[in-house]
Amino acid sequence: MLTEALQGFAGDYAELRYHRKRTRTVAVERGRVDQARASEHTGVGVRVMVDGALGFATTSDLEAGAIRTALDEATRAARASARAARGPRRTPPPRTALAVGRFEAPGVDDVALRPLGEALDLTLRLEERARAASARIASASCAYNEILEEKGIVTSDGASAWTRLVRPEFRVSAVASEGGEMQRGGRSIGATGSWDCMFRAGSAEALVDEAARMAVDLLSAGFPDAGRRKLLLSPALVGLLAHEAIGHTVEADFVRAGSCAAATPGPRLASDLVNLCDSGASPYDDGASGMLHVDDEGVLTQDVTIIREGRLASYLHDRESAAHFEVAPTGNSRAWEYDDEPLIRMRNTFVMPGESSLEEMIAGIDDGLMLDGASNGQADANGEFMFGTRQAWPIKNGKLGPLQRGVNISGLAFDVLSTVDAVSSDFRWELGAGYCGKGQPAKVDAGGPWLACTMLVGSRA
Amino acid sequence: MSTRPTSTERHADATQDQGGPDTSELAERAEELLALALAAGADEAEVAASASRSVSLGFEKGEAKTAQVERARALGLRVFVDRRLGFVSTNQLHRGALHAAAEDAIALARSSPRDEANVLPAPRIADETSLTPAALRAALDPRLADFGIDAVVAHASDFVASVRDRDPRLSVDQAHVTGRIEAFLLRASNGLALEQTDASASGSVFGMAIAGSDVGGFDARGTMTRTLDALAQSLAQIGARFAETALGNLGAGAGESYRGPVLLSPEAFHAMLLGPLVAASSAIAVQRKRSRLAGAVGTAIAVPGLTVHDDPTDLALAGASAFDREGQPATRRALVSEGRLESYLYNGYAAAVDGVASTGNAMGGARSLPGLGTHALVVDGGDGGDEAALVRTLGRGLVVQRFSGSVDPASGDFSGVAKSARWVEHGALARPVREVLLAGNAFELLRGALVLASEPELVSGGARIPWVIVDGLTVTAG
Repeated sequence: MLTEALQGFAGDYAELRYHRKRTRTVAVERGRVDQARASEHTGVGVRVMVDGALGFATTSDLEAGAIRTALDEATRAARASARAARGPRRTPPPRTALAVGRFEAPGVDDVALRPLGEALDLTLRLEERARAASARIASASCAYNEILEEKGIVTSDGASAWTRLVRPEFRVSAVASEGGEMQRGGRSIGATGSWDCMFRAGSAEALVDEAARMAVDLLSAGFPDAGRRKLLLSPALVGLLAHEAIGHTVEADFVRAGSCAAATPGPRLASDLVNLCDSGASPYDDGASGMLHVDDEGVLTQDVTIIREGRLASYLHDRESAAHFEVAPTGNSRAWEYDDEPLIRMRNTFVMPGESSLEEMIAGIDDGLMLDGASNGQADANGEFMFGTRQAWPIKNGKLGPLQRGVNISGLAFDVLSTVDAVSSDFRWELGAGYCGKGQPAKVDAGGPWLACTMLVGSRA
Repeated sequence: MSTRPTSTERHADATQDQGGPDTSELAERAEELLALALAAGADEAEVAASASRSVSLGFEKGEAKTAQVERARALGLRVFVDRRLGFVSTNQLHRGALHAAAEDAIALARSSPRDEANVLPAPRIADETSLTPAALRAALDPRLADFGIDAVVAHASDFVASVRDRDPRLSVDQAHVTGRIEAFLLRASNGLALEQTDASASGSVFGMAIAGSDVGGFDARGTMTRTLDALAQSLAQIGARFAETALGNLGAGAGESYRGPVLLSPEAFHAMLLGPLVAASSAIAVQRKRSRLAGAVGTAIAVPGLTVHDDPTDLALAGASAFDREGQPATRRALVSEGRLESYLYNGYAAAVDGVASTGNAMGGARSLPGLGTHALVVDGGDGGDEAALVRTLGRGLVVQRFSGSVDPASGDFSGVAKSARWVEHGALARPVREVLLAGNAFELLRGALVLASEPELVSGGARIPWVIVDGLTVTAG
């Protein structure tokens, strides 16, 4: 139907994307069901280039006539934009290898055909388990969510791809209370793949127990000293660093707007121990949540080495930015739903493992902090970032001390990466339940090894 | 006795809308879905439906990128079967999709546990503290209802050109202007039949200033208006503010570490202090034992100078509405008066748990279950004068224009980084600073000394909040 709708199109370029998204969610708090929900959002997004300008229109009506109407509306919108344009006309993306065929990620039927009642039973049972973990647990919540996506992508220059994938995720949160003090512990996981893949790193029960223990332990945790400190970052925080502080600055649209990575690839930006990548695949461990075979412009996703041995090697591209930088597109063009226009987005972003053991790294620190658990993060165009962390342990003379809390860390991304002096040999995907925001959400993952570096620590101490 | 129209009268009145999406088919599908759900076994059912049309032009790197025309519609079905909850939403309106939605919702409900609070709130008639759909429609600018792509392109092009022409160092990474009209309607098995139509124009700009190798921290500004006449002026205001802030971010250096007073912009005040206050005022948070304000209604939770309202009747704010997600009248309501917590926020579910009436704070659209929150936050001004007067009052310390960090609504703990921050010396802005971390506790700070600016400012078209000096933050500089 998409191919038929394109017949007779007289513009410079057209891209039609059928996107069916089914989301199923259950959420439980203190034994009460807050969400037992299924949502379907399906339609066709049409993007065209006409008279050297872009137009975008959508329809949720899946009839051929409605799709042609959307094509006409996108064409009129492009012409309106062209009349007001001051800059040079846009040109259609150069010919490149485009996806043709069917692409299906593992685990789709395992998740899609599973009754939601199973997930509801699990979340009810686990939420009760969290509350029972300690008398100091005042409240707990558990949620399961899955996103099933089917896409058909057809472009006027030859892409014709059908993709199907599913992304389940699970999260638990526990609030501990004592003497007017409240602290929260949480764990979340997610995958592209089956139910078993989602729980590949540990059982759901273990996650719940960890969240409850974290909440209770944080009640009596103190605050570390603020200032510039030697840090040992967990794979979760390394993943957040890779995504927020580096990944966004190398998205080519951001680069063209003047991000701090807007230098010609090649300059040394980090310690030579740092190798940082973005991939539509799931290297080192199955099931990363940002897995993608084909992007929303019909480009097969590529493995991108962003930083190789400390030197900037590549940006992340859609077809337009790839043409601007005269490189091949990397398959990073993604849209959240059919009525969103594709943007340059990350997939699975990570630091490659090194050669040290975690024990060696702890033993090598005289005065510092070991940090784990990302509570949030944000980065600026100049590479300045801030992450909140859940747990901190002081390191004195190579030994870990008792749990501390309330730590946030900040720095300039490339300055911090220049201080890296040890990288562990293990690896974990850690942000599988996370979403990236850039005007529209995107399901991404990030991770890496343990990493030793120096940066600014904020604290209430 | 109220002279406002009943819900049925409102429905009849609302069908005379001019210039909005044709809601007749949507209403038919909503009523069809409601009937299917009841036939499939629902004891109670509610359908929320929306239809919208939007036109927009986005800019990237200062140049027009994509002109967009979008039409969207959605139906959300909530059912209760033996007080068990199920919810399904779909944007497919054909009969097969409606049948599937009804059956799926019933199946979900049958697999859920029973909860006595799973009942629809009884329809209520609005009083003088809320808008009516007719009032909202009367405020609807007919030119905005017919806003076309050419008009959007013209406004957006002028807007971005005006920003770009202010200073060659400004880099507009992204900007947009959007015109949008949306109809929202509710049908429920308890006889509820409501609809309202709203139209707005919005704009935003995001970018930074660049001077050689100095890339300043980014700034983002947004606005919303309900009249076309106000759009150009509103865009000019956010353009000027964006330029001033982005250019002011150039040359940022190190700050100073200290614990004490900080001047917060309305945006930062909202993110760091008011957000946790609203979250802790949720009746569900109280019921679930994750609120620091449990048992605090009628008691002082902040300094006497703080008064906070939720005001869905303020047509200048994006959250203006005649009714909430469940059809309850959306009323102007004091959350905090002179530092005293007046009330928790209730939707139908939370109200049923506590055996009280909903406060009309069910939030969300057709694609989601009713949530709980505020429509439009309004904080009264104090006696601190304007922003410049507060800088003089601060004397020496940090000004935070934007906060990027984490705020735990349960504990009130926040930590993050001050963005677009300025250092004040001798009662005047001295220099921009970066790499400054902030930490504190919202509930403790609200009880401390607050100096509020005299006039609240519009915050992204969604709230009215003044600048404020708070005391006791921990500031850590790199």
